[in-house]
Parts: sequence; structure tokens; C-alpha cells
Amino acid sequence: MSGGGGTFRINHSLINKIRHHLSSGGSKSFYSSGLIMFFHPAPELPIVERRNWLIHQHYIHKDFDTCKVIVKEQLQETNGTCEYAIYVQALILRLEGKIQQSLELFQSCAILNPSSADNLKQVARSLFLLGKHKAAIEFYHEAARLNEKDWEISHNLGVCCFFIKDFKNAEEHLNMALQINKHDRTFMMLGQVHLLAGESDKAIEVYKRAVEHFPENTELLTTLGLLFLQLGKYQRAFEHLGNALTFDPNNYKAILAAGSMMQTHGDFDVAMNKYRVAACAVPESPPLWNNIGMCFFGKKKYVAAISCLKRAHYLSPFDWKVLYNLGLVHLTMQQYASAFHFLSAAINLNPRMGELYMLLAVALTNLDDVDNATRAYEQAVTLDVSSPLVNLNFAIFLYNHVDKKGALDQYQEMERKVNLLRDTSSNFEFDLELMDMAQKMGAALQVTESLVWTKPGKDSKSKPNSAAATKPPGTALGTNQALGQAMSSAASYNKNLQLQAGPSMPLEPEPDVDRAPSPPTDPPGSPLPAESDNPKPKSSKRKAKVEE
Amino acid sequence: MSESSSDGGKWLDAHYDPVAGLFSFSSCVDLADLSGDGESRLVVGDLGSGSSGMKLKVYRGTALLSESTLLDLPSGLVAFFMDLHEPRVPAVAVASGPCVYVYKNLRPYFKFTLPGLEVNTLEQDVWQQAREGQIDPLTLKEMLESIRKKADVPLSVRSLRFLSLETNDMDEFVQLHKQQPIRRQTVITCIGTLKKSTADEDGVSCLVIGTESSDVYVLDPEAFIILSKMTLPAPPTMMDVTGQFDVEFRITVACRNGNIYILRRESDKPKYCVELASHPVGLVRVGKNVVVGCSDESLQGFTQKGKKLWQTILPAPITTMAAMDLPTRGFQAVLVGLANCEVQLYRDKNLLSTIKTPDVITSICFGRYGREDGTLIMTTKGGGLMVKILKRTAAFADRDSAPGPPLAQSVRLNVPKKTKLYVDQTLRERENGVAMHRAFQMDLSRMRLAAAKAYVKALESSLSPVSSSLSEPLKMNAVVQGLGPSFKLTLNVQNTAACRPVMDLAISFLYDESLYRMKHPYMRIPLLVPGLVYPVQTFVECTSDKGISDIIKVFVLHEGKSCPLLTAHINMPVSEGLMLN
Repeated sequence: MSGGGGTFRINHSLINKIRHHLSSGGSKSFYSSGLIMFFHPAPELPIVERRNWLIHQHYIHKDFDTCKVIVKEQLQETNGTCEYAIYVQALILRLEGKIQQSLELFQSCAILNPSSADNLKQVARSLFLLGKHKAAIEFYHEAARLNEKDWEISHNLGVCCFFIKDFKNAEEHLNMALQINKHDRTFMMLGQVHLLAGESDKAIEVYKRAVEHFPENTELLTTLGLLFLQLGKYQRAFEHLGNALTFDPNNYKAILAAGSMMQTHGDFDVAMNKYRVAACAVPESPPLWNNIGMCFFGKKKYVAAISCLKRAHYLSPFDWKVLYNLGLVHLTMQQYASAFHFLSAAINLNPRMGELYMLLAVALTNLDDVDNATRAYEQAVTLDVSSPLVNLNFAIFLYNHVDKKGALDQYQEMERKVNLLRDTSSNFEFDLELMDMAQKMGAALQVTESLVWTKPGKDSKSKPNSAAATKPPGTALGTNQALGQAMSSAASYNKNLQLQAGPSMPLEPEPDVDRAPSPPTDPPGSPLPAESDNPKPKSSKRKAKVEE
Repeated sequence: MSESSSDGGKWLDAHYDPVAGLFSFSSCVDLADLSGDGESRLVVGDLGSGSSGMKLKVYRGTALLSESTLLDLPSGLVAFFMDLHEPRVPAVAVASGPCVYVYKNLRPYFKFTLPGLEVNTLEQDVWQQAREGQIDPLTLKEMLESIRKKADVPLSVRSLRFLSLETNDMDEFVQLHKQQPIRRQTVITCIGTLKKSTADEDGVSCLVIGTESSDVYVLDPEAFIILSKMTLPAPPTMMDVTGQFDVEFRITVACRNGNIYILRRESDKPKYCVELASHPVGLVRVGKNVVVGCSDESLQGFTQKGKKLWQTILPAPITTMAAMDLPTRGFQAVLVGLANCEVQLYRDKNLLSTIKTPDVITSICFGRYGREDGTLIMTTKGGGLMVKILKRTAAFADRDSAPGPPLAQSVRLNVPKKTKLYVDQTLRERENGVAMHRAFQMDLSRMRLAAAKAYVKALESSLSPVSSSLSEPLKMNAVVQGLGPSFKLTLNVQNTAACRPVMDLAISFLYDESLYRMKHPYMRIPLLVPGLVYPVQTFVECTSDKGISDIIKVFVLHEGKSCPLLTAHINMPVSEGLMLN
């Protein structure tokens, strides 16, 4: 009551009634307050918190300018003792990115009211944002002493531990937070902690629980889908990604992952529909344009494929996968000189992949450079462990260059790899054209026994196989097709060359193959699952699975 | 203001005054039949400029009916029946500061002040001692500070103000205030009404008050005594009350810590708690469920036990929310004011319609105004007042918001067309691929050879500005200053060896003597201590006025050797001045 009792008009006829009320509890009439004013000359001090509600109103409405004006007035009125005004001022400063200033203000809040856990929490939060995780942890512990069961404190402690790579404590704190209250953010964080600690099965469990609690959270669904995708559980991955897309049809990550799965199954049109949505949302994404390019490639629109891949390459010039695909498409277009450049660039970036050398060898074969092609093939065979394609191509190449013995060696190596693949996974499917070519090769090399994949046990599949085999090369869809085509064209080309058999002009030794820089960290395993969807030759197996 | 297509012509524009000068929140707006003539009036607590001009305004139709000044900012306003007298005329309660001002027939009727909060006994003792002159202000300050650090009960305003004073103001302050008893007061943050014993439309209601001290009080409407007191973990910001005080009631309170608490009759502590991810901006009850708008641009539905039912994302931040209840049609929905100048109508998570407004809406009130049941009253950020009437023919189709394929799916991909040039080049490569490859490889190796030769030559003749020889590892750079015709040439020479000094060095220049004249074409360099940069300066004069420039070559030589250690080529700038002859 700031000395203004007189301005409030009063109906005198009601005074009796007011007197009556005066006796009942802590109420007093306007009039009587005026009287009290008269006897006490000392001005009554305004209540410090009197405009806290207004500050809060403006703050949550994000009307920061008005908010700051009121805060300033309030601080002037109370001589800087209004805790909440300082608190909001600090929150606004933090939102504006002035974290150091906000930290100082929160600290002064903590001085004004040392018993408030919230002030300590905010001090810790600002420290956390400044990257001082250890100091933040200390403050959170202090806040936890004031307020035992607080979800936020446990969660943020977990996050801080996560950032200083103390995964064990992080897990503990986050689980504690989940016990107090289940928040999607905590689930997300706990999953990440498990992933970084290398426990993807635990992470999947966490995300599964999270999805049960938050069935509509697209981020959780997408993450779980991508995890399943990485583990090769395509059915479940697709289920979760599909759910994510139902709730948010514009989710870029889910679109890319689901699209790449459709693409490997050959549903290029459906995948393209999805990519169009993503292209509106994130028009400058290299993996997106790479996938769109390979969709066009699958649909045999090679020029469009090249322009999309080139866009991807422009956006991410050091991505070997884009270069790999560009090399592949150019091989298909019989632009061997261009293919050579893209492939050698890819090898420079990723010198540990046998298939890249094989493609380079195919390009070199077509460029009439037998010596370097041989060296590339040799490199490919040494690096590759599981792809029978590499050995088959080498065998064909050797056969065409009158090295029957070498061809036979490679052919047997290929058979070994095929057997290995068949043993490791029971329903492994091989590319039709690969089988066809291998059979022809076997006949040419006069290998008597029939190959493993034509055994009677696989009769159920022999029908579609033979149907596909009778098709002229190039009609079947599928990304592996291109390689098959590249491979077969290499073979036919070499057959022609066989007749000339003249000594070809020795060229420069290919520097890219020989002096390849030392390998980077890891072969194909890429960090972003959404990116690891380049259609590769081996993708054919998934396609076959759907057709069954 | 025209009816936009999105609201489908469901509303009649009854009134719009963009300069009504009405600044208010939804909590300070109510509709009530204040004179008992069957015509509802609009009662608004106007916040004015925030520091002055606070008023209680009553509108009838399009006209301002009455206006009375408020002492402090109104934090809430409700109309309620406080007695059973005939005619049935509701009173208006305005919460402001620590008081509730009750108006009847638009006249001040009663003021209720919140009871004072508990005062720290230690603090009281200390001030008692100060009053009796036992301690001086400095001791008082120390003692108060130590109380502040440990005490559970916070200090009073007076002590806080005292602690923030300068030393020389303290004495005066103590003299002025010491005679009064210490009081701690709190302020009201939100207000609501709760039917006392009957659910009738015009039944007597209790006032429900939320305070800054995190308490909720229920007041008796006639005697204004506190019927019930409940405590929350944080100061409340908004509340919704349902039920009857004597039977069973439920108070849903949004608090400043971002949580929502549900209070019930039997307990003075919250029964349920909802932890939100962001601050609640609006709280509206629809039937038995509670709809909460959050500052992260989401709208969420909860059961009355605090279980989350649904969530939907809004296109813009929420500014205010209100319930839309049409009992005659059995229609209930939520009106959400957004920062993008829209008001959206939601039933559960489904968007029913959108109203475009010329300004951002800060308060919404839906109900009976005048004699019209479905009236929507909104005030804008710029102080405007807008009244819309729901058409009797308006129907809200409850279509499912599950969208079809997003629009973007039909947008064509931006893939460039195939050009003739591209096709030609492709064909050329197909035909002459081998030749192109060989030519490229040939040229590549030639280029490499040429580069290697140039490099070797540079190394052999010390053409580079860095010498890496073991005996004299040197570095040099040159700076040219001036506009001409005379330039200052500074050569920074550095000995890059770890510890060995270099001596017996000289610098000589090679230049076109018809163009330049140099003061010292030959200079000796002092002993070079490792690591230090030695600037060697000389002046160059350009003798030509034809505006041409040339290269000056600098050689660093070792005395007694003709082969230079370093060479630098300085591209001289064109002289911009004329020679003064």
C-alpha cells in the first residue's frame, strides 16, 4: 500500500459493514488504511516481489524488450534486491548468448537466496554452457543437496558426465533421472551414452523403452530405426522409420534412411517421392543428392544421375562415396576417361577398399592400359576379403589376356569366397548376372564341377535366376546391374583385344594407384547411418529378399 | 478487416477499435451481467503503461461505460456472485499487489489484504535491539547478513533494503523505520473462482488466490476469511478451478518452475504433478481434460490426473489461450492466440479453424456479451479491442489433422536439363576416350617434370627468400612504403638457426638504372643473432615519370662468395608522384 489510500474512492454508507469485516481476520478497509498512514510518517517500502508475475508473463511470452524494461525498473525500485528480476535478466542474457554475464547474475541470485536449489541449478547450467563441465557438476551436486529428488539435476549431471566422457557415472545419473520422472530427453541422452560406450544392444533397449513411453516422438523413432538399420535388422528398422514418417512426414533423417532402404529394394519411384520432400527441407544435403542421383541411375536416367551426383560432389568434395558412384555411372556411360578421374580421386580419399581398385581396373582396361589395370586388379585382390566380384573380374581379365593359369587361380579364389559367404549367412543371395558370368567363365576355363550356387538345394531360386539370365544385359533394374554391365563390357572389350594382342604402348605408371597416401582411420563404416546408403554391388541380396 | 478464407466466414466482425488503449492479459478480462438487466458487460483490468494509468474499465456494446483508477497493476480479475441477494448481480474482484479489491455495482465495496507472512524471529530480535539503541547500524548489518545466509525464513523488505544501503545512509534509515513492526507481505499472482456449494450458474463462489509465496488460499465470499490454505512448491502463474468447495474441487495450477500441479479438496499439498519441458503459457480446461500451451510452441493435453494424452506443434509461439464453450450447442474447444497474428481454434489436437488478426492478440475472452452468446473478445498488443460474433450457421468440421502427403512431395526436383553441349562432349569422350586419357597422362607427366625442373633450379641458384643451408639458415621479407617517386624499402632479415650467429653478410640490389636510383645499392649486414628480425632500410627513387614500374632484385651474399644465399624479387609499385627537378 504505497500511500495512495485517498485516491481509492469509498462509499461512506458502507463503513459500518467494513468495520464489521475488520474484526474478521487480517483484512482491513481502504479507509482504515488511510488512517494508519496518518499516524505513521515512515513510508511503507514496496514489496520486493510485487511485479514478479508481470516479469514472468512477459518472459514466457518472449517479449524480452518489455521484460528488460520492467526488470530494470524493479531493480531500481528495490535497490537490486529483487531476486526474481535478476534471475529473469540472467535467463534473457543467456538466451542472447551472453553466458558469462548470465553466470555472474545467477551467482548474485544465489547470494541473495542461498537456500534456492534453482539458483544453483542455473549457475551450473551457465557453467555447462561455457564448457566448464567439472565446475557445473560441483554446482549440481550442491543443488542436489538442497533438493534431493529433482529430475533436472540428475539429467544434467548425466549430461555433464557424458561430456567429460565419464560414461559410467553418466549412465548412473541418467537412470536416476528416469526413475524420478520419464522424459524423452533423458532417454535420448542415455541412448547416446550407451552408443558412445559401444554398447549398441543396451542403447537399443533404452530406445525401445523410450518409444513405449513416447510413441509419437519422431526423433526417438528415427534413432531407433537407424540403429536397427546399422545392425541389419531391416524389417524393424523400416517399421520404426515408417512410424516416424507417419507422425512427421518432413523428418529429413527418417526420409533419407527409409528412402535408401526402398532404393536397395528397387522402389525407386517411392524413394524419389520421399526425397522430393527432403529436397525442399534440406536442399543442400550431399547424401540426399547422392541418393537421388543413384535413384535416377536405377531408373536408367544417366544424365540426371550424373548431374545430381555432381551436385552432391560439389556440396561435399571429399566424400569418396559420391566419387565412387560418379565413377560407376561414368563407367556405365562408357566415359572411361572421366570414370578414371573420379575413381582415382575416390581411391585417394579411401585407399583401403578393394572394390574401388577393381572399378579403376575396369576403367583402365577400357583405356587400353593393361599394365596398370593388372596392378590395380592385384591391389584390389589383396585388399578385398569378401567380394567374389573382384576375383571374377580379375579372372575374366586374365583369361582375356591369355593367362589361363592366373584366371583359374582367381576363379578358385572366387569360389572360396562364395562358399564362405554362403556358410556365414544361410539365405545369402548372389547377383544374377554375377552367377551367369561365373558359369560362362567356368565353362571357358573347363572347370568341371558346377558352382556352389547352382546346386539342387537352391532349386527354388533357379527359376527366376534363369529368367533373369535370359534377359539381355541392361534390362534388369538394380544398381548392381551397372557393375555387372561394366564388368561384362570389360569382358567383351577384352575379347576383341585378344585378337590384336600387340604390345600396347607403355604409359605413365598411374601415380594414384601406386603412391596412394596412407590409409585413414576406417574403411566404409561411415558415421552417419543415413549416409551409408550408397547403392553398392552387394546390395543385390536385399533386393532378392523382397522378391521371394 | 475482411473475413479470410481460412476461418470460412464463421465469424461476424462486430467491432474493431485499434486505438482503444486497452492493454491487458487474458487473466484480467471477464464478461458479466453487472447490472442484472440480462446484458453482459465486458470488464477489463487495464495495465496501462505498466507503471501508471492502471484502470478498471467496463464496456457495454461498443462504448466504454465506466472507468476507475486502480492503485497498482491488476494481476487478475474475476466476476463472481458473493451473496444470495436479489437482484442477482455479480461482484468484480481485482487482484492487485497484496490485496483483492471487490467492486459491487461498479463501486468499491471491500478490500481484502493477504495475511502477513511469518517473520524471522532472529530478525525481529535484532531490530528490537536496534530500536532500543543496543547495537549500531554496522553491527545490525552484520547480524542481518548472517541471518540471511542461514535462515529458512527470508528477510523482510526492510532488512533487504537496509542491507543494500551505503554506510552513511544507514543511520537515517534505521531512525525512520525502527518504530514500526516488521512485516513481510506477499503479492497475488493469479485469481480464480470456485463455486461454494452449488454448481448453479449463479451460485455463490469463493475466491481462489495464488500468491508469490507459493500458497493458494480459498476465501469465503461473504466474510472474507480464509477457508483453506494450500502450499505449492513454486509460485503459481495461472490456475483453473473446477468443482464446489463443499463437495469436491480440483485446482490445476501452472507454476513458475515449469510444472503443473493439481490440488484437491482433501490435501493441502499437490496431489499430482506434471513436469513440462518448457514453461506453460496458457492453461485451459476442456471438459475433464486440461489443455496446456507451452513456450516451445506446443499444445499438450492432459487428463485431470496429469497423464499426457496428446501433443501438437503450433506454427508460432503462443501469446494467450482461452476456452470456447458453447453449452447450447455442446461445443467445447480451445482458442490459441499466436505471435504470427493468428488465433487458432483447437478441439483436442485437431485444428478446427484459424482467424487472422491485424495485430498480435494478448488476451482472449469468449462468452456472452450483450445479448449474444457466442462472442469472442480480443485485445491486441497495440491496445486494440476486437469483438467478433460467432455466426449461428457456423459449423466446425472435426476433421482429423492427420495430413496426407506433404505438399513438398509434388514439387519437381531441381535437376538441370541435358544440353546439346553435354551430349556432344559425352559422345566425343566415348569415341576418343583412350586418346584423351593418354594425352592427359602425357601432359600431366610433362607438367610434373617442368615443375620439378623449376624447383631444382630455384634451389640451386638460391632464388628463394628462405635459405635452408646449414651454415647460414636465413629468412627475408621485403616491404615497400610510399607513393613515389621515392619509396622506402625495408628488408627484414632473420637468422633462423637455433643458436649460431651469422656474420659477414652483405646485401646488393640489381635494378634498371634508367628507372630507379638507389641511395645504397650495396649494404653490409651486421652480425645476426638467431631469432631476431633485423630491418635493413634504404630509399629508392623512381626517375621515370611514365608511370611504369619494374622489379628490383635483392641478393643476400656472403663475403667472398659470388653465389647468393637468398634472392628476393620486389615488384615495385607505380610511382604516383612526379619528380621534382
